[in-house]
Amino acid sequence: MTAKKSGSRLETDIERCRSEGQWDKIPELVRQLSTKLIANGLCLEKVPAVSPSLSNKNTGSPLSNRSTTEQEQEIITCYEKSGDIALLYLQEAEKVSGIQNRSPKPGPTAQDLELGYFLETGLQRAHVIHFKNGNLTQGVGRFREILRAVETRTTQNLRMTIARQLAEILLRGMCEQSYWSPLEDPPTVSPLDDPTRQGHTHSKNYTLSRLTVCFCYLFCPQENTEEALLLLLISESMANRDAVLSRIPEHNNDRIISLQSASVVYDLLTIALGRRGQYEMLSECLERAMKFAFEEFHLWYQLALSLMAAGKSARAVKVLKECIRLKPNDPTIPLLAVKLCIGPLHWLDEGECFAKTVIDMGEKAAEFRAKGYLAIGLVYSLKATDASLRSTQEDYQRKALGAFQRLAQSLSPTDHLAAFYLALQLAVSRQIPEALGYVRQALQLQGDDVHSLHLLALLLSAQKHYHDALNIIEMALSEYPENFNLLYTKVKLESMCRGPEEALLTCKHMLQIWKSFYNLTNPSDSGRGSSLLDRAIADRRQLNAMTLPDFSDPETGSVHATSIAASRVEQALSEVASSLQSSAPKHGPLHPWLTLAQIWLHAAEVYIGMSKPAEASACTQEATNLFPTSHNVLYMRGQIAELRGNVDEAKRWYEEALSINPTHVKTMQRLGLILHQLQRYSLSEKVLRDAVQVNSTAHDVWNSLGEVLQAQGNAAAATECFLTALELEASSPILPFTIIPRAL
Amino acid sequence: MLAMDQGVVEEWLSEFKTLPDSAVSNYAASLKDKGALVPALYKVIRENYSDEIVDKDGQSKVLSFTVPSVSKPSVYHEPSAIGSIVLTEGALANHGLSRVVYSGPHLQRETFTAQNRFEVLTFLLLCYNAALSYMTSTSLQSLCQLSSRLCICGYPRQQMRRYKGISIRMTVTSEFLVQLITGIHYALCNGEVELGSKALDDVLYRAQLELFPEALLVGNAIKSSLRGAALKSNSKEGARSIQVEITPTSSRISRNAVTSLSIRGHRWKRHDAVDLGSPDELMDISEVDEGVWPGGVGPDMTLPTITISNSVTTLNLGAKAMKKCRLGGRTSKDKDREAGPLITGRAASENTELSIKRLTLTSSQSVPKGGALTSLTRTASAVFSRSFEQVTSGSAPPSSNHTASETGRYSCSLQEDGLGYLSPTPNHTQRSPSISVHLGSDL
Repeated sequence: MTAKKSGSRLETDIERCRSEGQWDKIPELVRQLSTKLIANGLCLEKVPAVSPSLSNKNTGSPLSNRSTTEQEQEIITCYEKSGDIALLYLQEAEKVSGIQNRSPKPGPTAQDLELGYFLETGLQRAHVIHFKNGNLTQGVGRFREILRAVETRTTQNLRMTIARQLAEILLRGMCEQSYWSPLEDPPTVSPLDDPTRQGHTHSKNYTLSRLTVCFCYLFCPQENTEEALLLLLISESMANRDAVLSRIPEHNNDRIISLQSASVVYDLLTIALGRRGQYEMLSECLERAMKFAFEEFHLWYQLALSLMAAGKSARAVKVLKECIRLKPNDPTIPLLAVKLCIGPLHWLDEGECFAKTVIDMGEKAAEFRAKGYLAIGLVYSLKATDASLRSTQEDYQRKALGAFQRLAQSLSPTDHLAAFYLALQLAVSRQIPEALGYVRQALQLQGDDVHSLHLLALLLSAQKHYHDALNIIEMALSEYPENFNLLYTKVKLESMCRGPEEALLTCKHMLQIWKSFYNLTNPSDSGRGSSLLDRAIADRRQLNAMTLPDFSDPETGSVHATSIAASRVEQALSEVASSLQSSAPKHGPLHPWLTLAQIWLHAAEVYIGMSKPAEASACTQEATNLFPTSHNVLYMRGQIAELRGNVDEAKRWYEEALSINPTHVKTMQRLGLILHQLQRYSLSEKVLRDAVQVNSTAHDVWNSLGEVLQAQGNAAAATECFLTALELEASSPILPFTIIPRAL
Repeated sequence: MLAMDQGVVEEWLSEFKTLPDSAVSNYAASLKDKGALVPALYKVIRENYSDEIVDKDGQSKVLSFTVPSVSKPSVYHEPSAIGSIVLTEGALANHGLSRVVYSGPHLQRETFTAQNRFEVLTFLLLCYNAALSYMTSTSLQSLCQLSSRLCICGYPRQQMRRYKGISIRMTVTSEFLVQLITGIHYALCNGEVELGSKALDDVLYRAQLELFPEALLVGNAIKSSLRGAALKSNSKEGARSIQVEITPTSSRISRNAVTSLSIRGHRWKRHDAVDLGSPDELMDISEVDEGVWPGGVGPDMTLPTITISNSVTTLNLGAKAMKKCRLGGRTSKDKDREAGPLITGRAASENTELSIKRLTLTSSQSVPKGGALTSLTRTASAVFSRSFEQVTSGSAPPSSNHTASETGRYSCSLQEDGLGYLSPTPNHTQRSPSISVHLGSDL
């Protein structure tokens, strides 16, 4: 009661000062008033809530007639009012000191303001009570009210805390549908509030000075993630500024404090941005956290993961290396690195090192050990494909098989991967019946695995069971209708067993799928009504400088060591693709344009098979528009020229293709044939021998080589070649087995 | 057709509701024999999906949100208050309030295939997550249990959990796991502590085995952000248990620690000691000062408060105002050069304790060497005061209004302030006083 009285006396004092123009006295009085109110609230809280039955007896007591809720209401009113007054006091006090400093005369130095215990309690107690009572709506409202008040220097840390707390509530306790914007009235009924307790709203006859000058200038969040993000970015900027950088021991505590407050903010940022799939932005935010990160595993690891999710693979691997140094016993980290090394980066040597560290962990790696064998097996398998010497190839193939066998032993029997990769590796080394056995095993464990189905189809095609293979492909397509890899194989098989017309229909179908995938209106710039397609056309110019890596023929294409540049292009393209649209399919080929060019080339091939050079040329032209310097496009042009009987022109195209990709086996084979026709036998032999070095399983190259040798009169060697060709042809699939992706 | 399928599903659900707890597992085991149910479920799910991916006009729905930026003023902040450091970090500027799509547009799906299954499920889960506050605790519990099962079935951890029935590994995608984690996070913070943390662990386990960076990222962040928090289990039905505590907000970082803010001035002394050729460097003087002010709120202030001489204040004002000055006319280079030796003197004292150094240096900046600097200052402060006059006169016109709000602010019954400041350049009015605030009171 006395508190109340003195409170009103203070109010009168303030009024008096105001009328007398004694501005400098006012802040102190306001401060006193606020403190009084807080004390009042604290006292009220200490008074035990009086139950109605009890209050009936003690009619004398002033509290007796009050119900608990009324009392609570009074407490909250005290706190909210005192908090507001405290803020007003600080705002005014700073204004006053500001005016003094501005004056040319040396004024009294402004006192250092700080929140005392009372002011701090007053500013925080009200919302704490709201949340304790289950009144989330009012608690959030109170938070927003404080945050929207004009910022003062003294309340900076309070703002940072409250901003973080509000962000936490938005992320942990609210959802899109229960959200209301800070400028809207809160919903009267909300699932956020405890239905058993009724809240109150006390009307205020004053307002805090707000940031707001005109709302139209200001960003106001419309969604809970937006608001959380805004609050977190504000908190981040403050936390970042307070990062303690000195490493001397006496600042250890300071450093830990600054690290903790920052890492909470970064964790919440990760949650908010992760939900929305904004990994690119997240990786930039976490990069800023790095000034805290010395020897801090969590920050390094999160940065690495965000870089990985954002598609910045090379940098992710570098950061992962630091993570491994900080936590050498965690098998997940080197595995993540291998995943990047054998995937987008194609850094096989690095990948091998990472995979070995996992295997070296032995039993400690537990369930991840199998993954280690898988990783190293894949590295060897890819190295075998890259190797240009046959002995090295065989060596790596043997190593890969060994790793996959260890994988099979260490994996749980429910995992299909061991069987699948054994099958794939055996298939690559043309052990078709064995491979079939394993692929069947894999399919028993995982019946709808697209890669196993594809491999089965290719194996069947190697055994020349084209109809069965086509059936399998169609079955797989019923589950994966938009898988372009399957569709490419389908085109090949169809032209083989159902005639080129069917194959052309499939090509048309592929174009339709492609269009429905990428031609959806792109909403992020819906104002201009442009589609992803339009936008991509805009960057076509930069695409012109890139080459088209092979998808259907990776034996000589993108995965080959000699075309590192091509894989760099892929990397660049995948980044472009991921920035183009978040909903773009993550699976399948990397870039819409690569896919499109690929489809046109397949169609061109079908037309060449039909001996229709005009149509084939039109299709190739479409691909040329996209990737004019691709060796695949040039190869196709050479074939068309051959079809038209222009041997010289064909030769020129093939030579151009080889100047771009000197290890493109198909081109080498065609060029060898032409040189043979031109009776330049020794040059032809040289080209064909080179081709065989690159890919020893290409039966048509062996065949051509045999012919050249025969023409040169070397019958014995020619026979040898023909036999090899025959043998290889018997196990040759319709498309190379390596079309099936090998990734962790 | 759909009505029939819906009927089948509803029948199944009502049948399920009447089951006693003990019979649930037997019932679940017999589900696969209900031939009509599974296709009906598929159809109902697909129908819901098809409804959700379009807006009321039948257009493909696109969910987007605005990425806020601290460099743009918002209802909660003013960029100028955040300080120059963050705002000069170019990365932030790139993210000026861009609208970003996070879901959609989605293709209509005629069939539910292995390829689009997770696209559909991820989207449906996104819809579920948008309404988490409205979900009953039973629903949240089911979400947690479902997540645990889905993630560990077919993996060694399954044996530890005694989950019977299915032991085939179910394919998942990283995006799907991220959506699951979002739901689990809500459950975890709203009463389902035990089931929620188990589910989170299981999802993380799976994400590790599958090497999914997205799910690992979000899962790790949730785990780490909840480490200190005391989560309360659901004591009574329907009560959400989000709590906040009173947190001491005064800066607990001691003033003499080198922070990323104070390091700026530090670096400047070391590298730029020799060459101070352009007025740009001069501006750093003011930035050193800016660097001090946020840390100055600490209660554990052991350092003596140094009363700063007036000249420092004017110097800093001057340096700040230099920006304006340079916009207009060029400042003589020679004058700046004369400032050179002064800086070298500053570098010499580098060995002294940093904080003291900062203070002493700031005062030495202006006090001893008058000459060029003071004349510079004079020009600068003249510019400053002129610009200030412009500002005040600019916002003055509704002067009666202005004073009304001025007086009003001191009493407790205030009307919305700022009306008096309703000028199109709000920052201007606010910034001028704020310069003097940090300079004067902090040091």
